Amino acid sequence: MTELAPSHPQEKRPVGGELIIPVASLLFTGYYVSTIVNSPWTAQVSALFVGSFLALLSLIFVVKAAIMVRRGEADLSVRDVFNATDRETGRYWLLLLTVAYILVVEWGGFTITTFAFLTAAMLVLDKGRRPAYIALLAAAFSMGGYALFIFAFDVRFPVGPFERLMKWLLT
Amino acid sequence: MNLSLELFGALFVHELSFWWVIVPSILLGYVVGAIPGFSAANTIIILLPLTLTMDVEVGLAFMVALYCSSRMGAGIPAILVNIPGTAGAAATPLDGYPMAKAGRGQQALAISFVASTVGGLLTTVLAIFIMPWLAEVSYHMHSVEMIVIMLFGISLIASIAARDTLKGLIAGFFGLMIGLIGTDHVYATPRGTFGLLELYDGVPLIPALVGLFAVSEAFMIIEQRSILTEMGLNILRGAGWSATLEGVAIALRRWWHITWTGLIGLVIGVIPGAGAAIASFVAYQQSRSFSKTPELYGTGHPEGLIAPESANNGVTAGTLIPMFILGIPGGATAAVMLVVLQYQGVNIGPTLFEQRPEIGYGVFIVMAVTYLLMMLTILPLARYMPRVTMARTVYMAPLIISFTLVGSFVPRDYVFDMFLALLFGIIGYVGRRTGYHVAAMLIGVILGPMLEQYFLRAMKMADGNLMVLFSSNIGNALWAALIVSVALPFALEYKRNRRRATGAA
Repeated sequence: MTELAPSHPQEKRPVGGELIIPVASLLFTGYYVSTIVNSPWTAQVSALFVGSFLALLSLIFVVKAAIMVRRGEADLSVRDVFNATDRETGRYWLLLLTVAYILVVEWGGFTITTFAFLTAAMLVLDKGRRPAYIALLAAAFSMGGYALFIFAFDVRFPVGPFERLMKWLLT
Repeated sequence: MNLSLELFGALFVHELSFWWVIVPSILLGYVVGAIPGFSAANTIIILLPLTLTMDVEVGLAFMVALYCSSRMGAGIPAILVNIPGTAGAAATPLDGYPMAKAGRGQQALAISFVASTVGGLLTTVLAIFIMPWLAEVSYHMHSVEMIVIMLFGISLIASIAARDTLKGLIAGFFGLMIGLIGTDHVYATPRGTFGLLELYDGVPLIPALVGLFAVSEAFMIIEQRSILTEMGLNILRGAGWSATLEGVAIALRRWWHITWTGLIGLVIGVIPGAGAAIASFVAYQQSRSFSKTPELYGTGHPEGLIAPESANNGVTAGTLIPMFILGIPGGATAAVMLVVLQYQGVNIGPTLFEQRPEIGYGVFIVMAVTYLLMMLTILPLARYMPRVTMARTVYMAPLIISFTLVGSFVPRDYVFDMFLALLFGIIGYVGRRTGYHVAAMLIGVILGPMLEQYFLRAMKMADGNLMVLFSSNIGNALWAALIVSVALPFALEYKRNRRRATGAA
């Protein structure tokens, strides 16, 4: 079964992070069951079977974690998930840029948005070093992606001003 | 349907003459297989206008070569950067990625390529000669039998959970629960969809695959300079052709392992709707169950890499058998091929093998030719592709994120799917950080809806009587095999411990 001993003799085990998935599982199972209470049995049977197992397993983990915290072997810290390395490595910025990429790519199109995302993300992660090299790399990959997927194979990538301009120029 | 050696030889030479279309298709297949969101089926659809203008034999050679090579291509990023190109390669990183991280990427790729090509070739040749009997398999596989086959794949969750049972099971059941999102298969009642229409068809696989593996991996790797360990970096820098040849030798020494896991793929491929993902999970689980060293699985064990790669290539020949004999395509790519053949006026059925053997048998022989030509690419690809793992993660992570997110957009044209991939990425990141295995979650997401579909179908036909699960002889034999395969590792472990204890005394 789950190893519940502290990872380091003097250090308390940070079970807060380990509880995220069991707690999310419990919440999701609860929500899921609420959506099927008035449904025919065919919609309920699998969910009740899987959901009850998941809820039971998650509850066992929550109880075990609570016992560990009470014994002083663990604390509710989430430092194994969120810690100083997130800031040092630029992980938060990467997440923000990823969200921005998804929001913009629909109207900005694949080529321009990918170029902007790659340049910004690489600069952030590399602490602003080698900007010319990064811009060149980002241009090569975004243009390469355009040439291979949109121009050569006509794949349904998000289309924006650049793709429309190229289509107009090439027809 | 009798194929003489003379006819076989003549057809082989004939199909070899299509090398000029097979070789570029192989290279294209590697590319589309390696990028999540693309697949042989998608690419054939995209290139349909071109395919339909080709002569039917040339078109078939193009589609078959693309199909076979995309399977092998999907394993390349799975091994090198922990990103399976398709769901069929989802079991490949379990042992492939640990090898790559340790600087043994050349060996891992060589093992994967040999398993893919040899497994694919053996099962194709076998399929040519036992096709009529294999086609019978698809007749006998009904909902009950399919439930047991799904459970073979799902039992892999228990193996993954062996290292941390509670977390492994939570991850697997969480994946199964996510897999149940969408409308039910009988009355189309929406369940757990958060009111989002985009989830009514269930959770799409590509965003789940991209998020759990690629996005979460990209957010993890930025802490290191490269995905390789320091030791791995030194090993890879010093590795030459000998490392590649060592990988080839490791795989060839396990020829029997390649053969029987490939056969699992062939048989599962024959069953319409089953596919490469189930085959690779089942083969991995069976390989581990019957292994003398099950504890090495998940740490970079060659047999753990051979099993899914040989099985998912065994599927390729399998999916075409019910299509050519019964007119029932065994998978998405086979279905697209069927459309092309019908457009070209080819009548599918057993008579095709008598009337037009160059198409009936030809499709399998062109597959064998493809695998033979793919063998020529093993050494150069395995020798130089692992260099990718030496790239700095600050450049690699944004590339992985942007290209895989756009890959998750492609199948349905929904920006929503990109957000879904990001959400799965966050779940995968938290899971990796806290010891919940993302592969266990993915198994649940992939196999959960299929299991439910077959279960409901069986229950509906039996008016809710659970005993229907034990109502067929084949089903009961499969239940017995499932129990043996789940219990066997524990029995072997018990035996080993006893032997060890006796030895110590």
